Amino acid sequence: MCPKIFKVKIQFCSLLFLVCFLSSCGKKEDVLKIKGSDTEVNISVLLSEAYFMQNKKVQLSVSGGGSGLGIASLLNGLADIANSSRPMNENEVNLFKEKHVEIVPYVFAQDALAIITHTNLGIDSLSVDEVKQIFKGEITDWQQLGQNKMPVTLYGRQNNSGTHAYLKTKLKIEFSPYAKEMNGNAQIIEAVKADKGGFGYVGAGYVLKNGKQADTNIKILKVYEKGTTAYSPLDYNAVIQQQYYFQRPLFQYILKSSYAKAQPLLDFEKSTEGQKIIVSNGYFPAIMN
Amino acid sequence: MNSIRRVKTDIFFKHLFRFAGFACIAILLGIFIMLLYNAVAFFTKVRPIDFITATQWNPNNQFGLLPLLVSTLLVTFGAMLIAIPLGIGTALFMSEYTTGFVKNWLKPTIEMLAAIPSVVIGFLGIVVISPSISHIFGLSNGLNALNGAILLAIMALPTIITVAEDAIYAVPLSLKEASYGLGATKWTTLSKVVLPAAYPGIIAAIMLGMGRAIGETMTVLMATGNSLAFPTGFFSSIRTITATIAIEIAVRCFLPFSMACGPS
Repeated sequence: MCPKIFKVKIQFCSLLFLVCFLSSCGKKEDVLKIKGSDTEVNISVLLSEAYFMQNKKVQLSVSGGGSGLGIASLLNGLADIANSSRPMNENEVNLFKEKHVEIVPYVFAQDALAIITHTNLGIDSLSVDEVKQIFKGEITDWQQLGQNKMPVTLYGRQNNSGTHAYLKTKLKIEFSPYAKEMNGNAQIIEAVKADKGGFGYVGAGYVLKNGKQADTNIKILKVYEKGTTAYSPLDYNAVIQQQYYFQRPLFQYILKSSYAKAQPLLDFEKSTEGQKIIVSNGYFPAIMN
Repeated sequence: MNSIRRVKTDIFFKHLFRFAGFACIAILLGIFIMLLYNAVAFFTKVRPIDFITATQWNPNNQFGLLPLLVSTLLVTFGAMLIAIPLGIGTALFMSEYTTGFVKNWLKPTIEMLAAIPSVVIGFLGIVVISPSISHIFGLSNGLNALNGAILLAIMALPTIITVAEDAIYAVPLSLKEASYGLGATKWTTLSKVVLPAAYPGIIAAIMLGMGRAIGETMTVLMATGNSLAFPTGFFSSIRTITATIAIEIAVRCFLPFSMACGPS
């Protein structure tokens, strides 16, 4: 026979358990959730880790998924900070207005977009126009650029990517439908490494480490505008002086309601130590106005 | 006392199972209604005929399903081309040509294949099959429909083999005995008696395998290159419907008629 008091205890315990479980979900204030750009996720993780070493009271969670995902999460209250490698578009700004969600934009670093190819390719630099034509699908064979006959395989990012959106706006193009859409920067690098006709774009943070090329199995092209010198994203001074064509600010959008708890992290990113981490991992300091 | 408890237990479980049954139906209905609601909302903005026949997929303004649909069908067709002969052959081998040790090992091993997560199969496609395809056919890369078809075939095989083997095994012994009694060889018995008798079960096996291949997302997302151009053959890079859903879903909150946006 089962004594009644025992049964009540079980019920009580399970209730207690449930309450504990729910309350642990509800403890939102201590966790700072950062989501978004695949280009920014590496540096964001490094910065958060270093910041955590100084201030172990906060909990930080950083994840990627693309700039679009980050902004969508911010809108739905699933993140406190959205990493974005592009500014928000009009549609998104309107949605935030409609939902009465207030946000604060912040630029914490700069990225130079590296145009990469297979190492065997005989080209070291391309003009902006040529890059444009390749992405549009007008140049489909390397023969058109004076190389051996070899079809160009385009590797790009998916719709949720800020990098994808950035290139589209910067070059004012639609990408060729033949472009392969990969899941992230790392996958593009792997694909271009193996493909003799490969052509792709990745954030400099993925190919640059301590001012040098991190992975020598790919070639990083220099890019020039008509009549000017060709600059490489590996050239730190050129990027600092705004001479490289494909460089862009990296944004963090912060929920206004979470700004107080995000503030110390942002301050850390601005500090000398934070800037050191940014530069040594292949990103560039933000332009201070 | 004891009998009352038993009755109470019975009633409790009766209601529990009833609840489980209705919960299942409610969930199904909920999914159906959500899809229907969104689809109707969508078709008030885009003409259904344009949706099916247009060839441009750019979900900011162009909703052409055709290349995605053709991609899905192409890769599924390819997978079935590989998986059906292999699967039914294996099923025949297991039920008719082998017994004992080999069969006892073969069957669980094949069923283990079904336990491999799709993301692992996709990874296999990227690091093993894709380079092999580019090497064998002299292509610059192997991220294409053929790669997807091979992987989907691998994933559909366990389903096809298991179900087909059961169907073949269930053919009554008396039919085979009658065939042998008339002097038929083993192959004639198999092709003229056993296979026709197991036909409905084999069709079911193929259908289930096909369902697995059509619905697969992660593997094709990783292995087929996801380009949006209209596919021209097994060597073109394709993007299936499921892969498109997986790619777009995270950012499609911004469509005015989407519900899949979390709490609002």
